[in-house]
Amino acid sequence: MLNKKNMLMTIVFALIALVLPLVINAPYQQHILILVLIWATIGTAWNLLSGYAGQVSFGHAAFFGVGAYSAGILTLHYSLSPWWGLILGPVMSMLIALPIGAIAFRLRGPYFALATLALGEIFRLVFLNMTEFTNGAKGILIMPSITSKIIYYYAGLGMLAVTLLVTYLIVHSKIGYYLVSIREDQDAATSLGIPTTLYKNLALLPSAFFTGLAGAFYMNYVAFIDPNIVFNLTNISIMVILVVMLGGVATTWGPTIGAALYIIMGELFRTTLGSANVLVFGVLVCLIIMFLPNGIAGELDIIKRIAQRKKAGLSGGV
Amino acid sequence: MKKYRKVLTVLLLVTFLALVTTGCGGDGSSDTTVKVGVILPLTGSEAMFGEMEKNSFEMAYEELKAAGKTTVGGKEIKLMYEDDQGKQDVARSATEKLVNQDKVAMLSGGYSSACTNVIAGSAQNANVPFLIVTGSSDDITKQGWNYVFRGTAAPASKYTGAFWDMMEKVVDPQSVAIIFENTDFGTSSSKGFRTECQKRGINIVFDQAYEHGAIDFKPMLANLRSTNPDMIFATSYVMDASMIVKQMKELDFNTKLFVGNGAGYTMPEFYQNAGAASDFVASTSLWVPNVTWPGAKDYFEKYKQKFGKEPDYHGAQAYATMYVIADALGRATDLTNAGIQKALKQADIQTIMGPIKFEDWDGFTNQNKPNTYVVQWSKGKLEVIWPEDVKSASYVYPVPKWSER
Amino acid sequence: MEDAWIKFGQTVICGILLGGMYSLIAIGMTLIMGVMKIINLAHGALVMVGMYVTYICSTNYGIDPYIGMFIAMPVLFLLGCLIQKYMINRLVEVDSILPENQVLLTVGIMLVLTEGIRLFFKSDYRSVVTSYSSNTVFLGDMSISVPLVIGFIIAMTFTFLLHMFLTKTDLGKSIRATSQDRDAAVFMGVNSSKITMITFGLGAALAAAGGSLLLPLFYLFPDVGHLFTAKSFIITILGGLGSTWGAAIGGLVIGLSESLGATYISMGYKDVVGLVMFILVLLFLPGGIRSLVKR
Repeated sequence: MLNKKNMLMTIVFALIALVLPLVINAPYQQHILILVLIWATIGTAWNLLSGYAGQVSFGHAAFFGVGAYSAGILTLHYSLSPWWGLILGPVMSMLIALPIGAIAFRLRGPYFALATLALGEIFRLVFLNMTEFTNGAKGILIMPSITSKIIYYYAGLGMLAVTLLVTYLIVHSKIGYYLVSIREDQDAATSLGIPTTLYKNLALLPSAFFTGLAGAFYMNYVAFIDPNIVFNLTNISIMVILVVMLGGVATTWGPTIGAALYIIMGELFRTTLGSANVLVFGVLVCLIIMFLPNGIAGELDIIKRIAQRKKAGLSGGV
Repeated sequence: MKKYRKVLTVLLLVTFLALVTTGCGGDGSSDTTVKVGVILPLTGSEAMFGEMEKNSFEMAYEELKAAGKTTVGGKEIKLMYEDDQGKQDVARSATEKLVNQDKVAMLSGGYSSACTNVIAGSAQNANVPFLIVTGSSDDITKQGWNYVFRGTAAPASKYTGAFWDMMEKVVDPQSVAIIFENTDFGTSSSKGFRTECQKRGINIVFDQAYEHGAIDFKPMLANLRSTNPDMIFATSYVMDASMIVKQMKELDFNTKLFVGNGAGYTMPEFYQNAGAASDFVASTSLWVPNVTWPGAKDYFEKYKQKFGKEPDYHGAQAYATMYVIADALGRATDLTNAGIQKALKQADIQTIMGPIKFEDWDGFTNQNKPNTYVVQWSKGKLEVIWPEDVKSASYVYPVPKWSER
Repeated sequence: MEDAWIKFGQTVICGILLGGMYSLIAIGMTLIMGVMKIINLAHGALVMVGMYVTYICSTNYGIDPYIGMFIAMPVLFLLGCLIQKYMINRLVEVDSILPENQVLLTVGIMLVLTEGIRLFFKSDYRSVVTSYSSNTVFLGDMSISVPLVIGFIIAMTFTFLLHMFLTKTDLGKSIRATSQDRDAAVFMGVNSSKITMITFGLGAALAAAGGSLLLPLFYLFPDVGHLFTAKSFIITILGGLGSTWGAAIGGLVIGLSESLGATYISMGYKDVVGLVMFILVLLFLPGGIRSLVKR
């Protein structure tokens, strides 16, 4: 559980996050921060299912998209404020997570990954072709009622904080240890009497919930969605994996660090490198994964372990 | 140990962020320049159009500069390009940067409908004038947004203006088939066409969307053939257009007329890929090089010479837009966002895309009434066949069967 | 009635011929996935690079795409070997929490290849038009595209040759052994890093061949690869991981089902048909087609 130092760090982080938009009082930078918060939330949610429980999902765009569309459709068909989507979106995402889990959890490893990939794509195609209900490829365009970035920032920060907290509590409870044991050796976990499918679902549902929440928030903030954007395989499902892998798989802060890196680096490259920006980004991705295979926060743990081992060796193994 | 490093990482990130903040922030004053932000897809799958439009912007800018029209009120117009990668959240970031960081006087650009939607919404929010180059979703100028202008681009459902005239006078089909890519442009324009058909009591015998990028359209075409339509109306992305036409030829599938709806059917790449199958394919279009507007032919020749590639109407849109921008900035009484908005609203300028005026009509706001044409391919050349007063060749209708060519 | 049969026949023929091309691309992937157990998201990008090589041969040197293919294949073989040896292999050796970070590396490679090509060739759509590009023969009222038939024959020939290579040569046998049980193969004296390198190269070369065969009837742009990546996965799983014949038949099945889906459901839903089949196979036939053949 939380020790003192840990607690202190969290408080310091929280304070920095709270005052950050007041220090950086420029809408463009605040916009970048909001994007970081959205991606950090999706990343943290993905990390619960895929990082801790080891069920690598290539279909999180399905949850993101359903969350976003829940908010959009409320406005489109029922003229309600898209903010209600923050309640409906996550619930809908959880509802679709049930059948997805029922199908995909029968499979393991790369087969699980490919099944989620296919399911995510099916959602995209269905939303694209159900023109009556979803507006099809035309997408849903709304005029946001709130224009102040500060409000979105704090709403996004709240969203991330809740996600981090819930994830932290799950991971550090009995469920969390079961999840890790499933990741490390599912057969051993089963033979120890852990109902693996149940526990995988216990990771999937919150993961879907928070991804859907981020989706609904995205709709509110960006104010336009279409199926090819929110259900995108490359730009959502794979990018979230990238975000978490960059930051550190199965670590509390990894996804947030990864999101910050991904968004800020991408934006920095885009504004300075001209048409080579995606190329440079790709090279960097290759380099980071080759040299820091567990991401930034993940590698820190290894560094720490080495350091501790040295310390232990010096003090004569007390 | 671990925690210290984490602090270090976070601190690093914060400095990183601060760097971004300050690094670009110094350029706030606009004493000597009027900044115009141009957001185009310069990487990603739409980059081909982004490049063409950027080149055309530059070309127009150089011409205007030579004529001394890039200096307005003692300030130099400065174009600031941003890449939206064809992704809407990147387009949003680009808009935020241009509006808040660079403090541009106005915005332009916008290729895909999705990106244009997002740019338009943010621009309206920030009260920065946004002059659309290509984005053609009907909805964008139907929101009543007074800071959003669309001059050189038609709403997707209005590409067919001239074609309906020709339909009444020449084609008069008993039955039509509609095929379209399931993108914003495809759905919007086929919806417009469908409503119009229903209004006139034309029988729609086939109506289907497809996912763009398919290799094989024959199953759909074989289905389509069995409904035996007089005419096909197709909205297709670049190369799908040529795949469809080629495979119709392979199937020996004859109709009296095949009409494409701009986009893929008017590009030079269409002829390169489809070859002889492109003959007699008609298309709606917003612009053709041999249109009678002054400067159109010159633009085409000059672009071809300079970049070694033929431009299509997308390039012309960007070129004409640059002229509209220079005109509006030149007339603006003060170079504030509001002042430029007013100047744009009063614009009435002759460009290579015809006269441009921003009017409110049919539920649209600040939307130029588009000039549309019907063109037909003839041995690798696009000929204007309608309206009749600007035609460069006579129409061929009904078109000869594949076996009789 | 007559019409309905023509439509059906046309659909089936198109599906099978196109499926043949899919097969060739997917065989490249099934080799890589079978031996290395990684999901290669850069596969489509390799197809794309192969197509560009053939394209250059055709436009700059006037080499027919069916011959240019034999230049593209060794080039891609080399590229595949280099990628495997200097990039992916590094990850096999290090410890990581999720083995899926290899997948991410292939995403990075995909980005680099796609954007690298874009830097050189711009995003322009390019086509190779040959004298036979739009030739057709008619079988009754059904039309058959000549380049599709040629492509189909070449694809099946390659499949056969590859099968012979894998079953009859020592190197081929080592590849199959590594695919079935890496540790045992290493124990038996197989040089596994050499084998994985050659496998990746071979996979890339086959991808190039598949792409080149499509070139006379399709077109080319830097993002064309995405189209093939997803299809290859589906086929690989359908056929059974690492199975050449499985992938060949899987390709035909996918081509056929997409074609039928496009005719009888809707062109917009044709990809859904393939994906649903994919999930059904994953669930109910986990070993793929191969497991049906093995008695």
